[in-house]
Amino acid sequence: MKRWKGSPCDVDSWVALPVLSDEQSQDVELVEVFAAPILDKKETSRLVRELNSLCPLRGLQHVKRVRPCREKPHPLEVLVCLVSDVPQMQVVSIDSLLPSGGVNCNGLGEPFVVKVPARAPLTRPQFELASQHWPTSFHEDKQVTVALRGELFSRHQKERMHAYMASAVTAARDGGMAGMEAIGAVVVDPKTERIIAVGHDCRCKHPLHHAVMVVIDLVARSQGGGVYGFDSYPACRFTSASSVQTEAQTENGTQPYICTGYDLYVTREPCVMCAMALVHSRIGRVFYGVASADGALGSKFKIHTQKDLNHRFEVYRGVLSRECEDLNSMNDHIKKDRGE
Amino acid sequence: MGTEEGGKEESVELFCPSEEEIERWMARAFDMAKEALENGEVPVGCLMVYKDKVVGKGRNEVNETKNATRHAEMVALDQVLDWCWRSSLDVKSVCERIALYVTVEPCIMCAAALRLLNIPVVVYGCRNERFGGCGSVLDVSSADLPHTGTQFKCISGHRAEEAIDMLKTFYKQENPNGEKQNHSACLFFLLLTLHFQNV
Ligand SMILES: [Zn+2]
Ligand SMILES: [Zn+2]
Repeated sequence: MKRWKGSPCDVDSWVALPVLSDEQSQDVELVEVFAAPILDKKETSRLVRELNSLCPLRGLQHVKRVRPCREKPHPLEVLVCLVSDVPQMQVVSIDSLLPSGGVNCNGLGEPFVVKVPARAPLTRPQFELASQHWPTSFHEDKQVTVALRGELFSRHQKERMHAYMASAVTAARDGGMAGMEAIGAVVVDPKTERIIAVGHDCRCKHPLHHAVMVVIDLVARSQGGGVYGFDSYPACRFTSASSVQTEAQTENGTQPYICTGYDLYVTREPCVMCAMALVHSRIGRVFYGVASADGALGSKFKIHTQKDLNHRFEVYRGVLSRECEDLNSMNDHIKKDRGE
Repeated sequence: MGTEEGGKEESVELFCPSEEEIERWMARAFDMAKEALENGEVPVGCLMVYKDKVVGKGRNEVNETKNATRHAEMVALDQVLDWCWRSSLDVKSVCERIALYVTVEPCIMCAAALRLLNIPVVVYGCRNERFGGCGSVLDVSSADLPHTGTQFKCISGHRAEEAIDMLKTFYKQENPNGEKQNHSACLFFLLLTLHFQNV
């Protein structure tokens, strides 16, 4: 652990990036809409008013009705209606697109098809891509923008995160040395900056004792519960809750409840079982080093963003990614030695 | 080598409890759930059966262990492992011939644990709309997860109405003043379940 601590360049060797929901990370989907040039700029506000009331664009509240044009003979273009709302026809004229007697098409040119973003952008990258197609409005979540730039955490926070993940890496190595998969996990109370539990994979002894399941039980033990004894593995340890309880907590009489408010640092993305165990345990946030093939916090599922579940949490990947990646090669050696 | 493996796969494929077995073991699982309800515990009954013998059974132990992963299925799986170790039997070859009988659909976590231990068949009563891992929230039982054990077959709907009624009774008595919000939410979901199952 001493190796990582305090050396200032280390925290620049990795970036923690948020693992966002599918809606937040998917590509921009486009939908076809008829647009028309506005030939007479003075007609603009009347046209927009009439079109907005008589031809509202269903589900496209996020796209702006008009866009300015450069390098074109006309100054502006306006969206008329969704292509899917118009019956198939051979020649499309502006008159045929507008409800008869409703919109006065003075000042409008002949229609053409454009592609506009089908959904409101949720992140700045989505917004920037969407805007290349048509001007789009965007209600920015500043924290997500900063997180996607990898700049959410201060230097102090990164140093703490670095130290916690370094403990997880050390535990992983100890586990690897004992013949387990080299995977380690640490549970931290971010309010007190205290480590509650450290553990590693113990699946040689019990096939379901993945590192996350081990630390969840160690947290239970720290609160006077727990099921298993990991005493034969000195790298698996916990700090009992009573010894870390702050004065404020004692005064309020608030007892720690499972993993509520705690952060988990784990060297590798958790599997489905472990990810759902974290939902049941009401974990605060999860930080992992590297993705795994069947991982359930980003790779195969994103259980932390699943709308139907009663608890959701933030997940960040990439903490100490190089050191966590190195553990995989240790695992390959272990498997080879076991003849797998 | 190849034929050996093929033969093994085939036998797992054929492993499936009969109607009579389902009837009999589910009756036992429902008795367990009823007993739990009478003791004020979560009314879920759960049995692991190997060669017509119960090698694991469990009840929800979350409260007393302060470990939120101690669902009935996880407790029962621990008993199966203990039984294998005590009997000096290979865990994998035993688990491949075990059927799980449980009154409520296993959650996502338990479904993944069942996969990791290669349990081939799960017989359950009612759906679990909040956490279900056999199709209700996610389908872990048949998902393409090559590093997460083996897929398993689900036989569902056995005495579903009765299983829901027991859960409803439990959450009603557990929560007379609406103290715990998630429990009233659960009751709501159970009512939804009831509605969608057309029972
Ligand atoms: Zn796991
Ligand atoms: Zn479960």
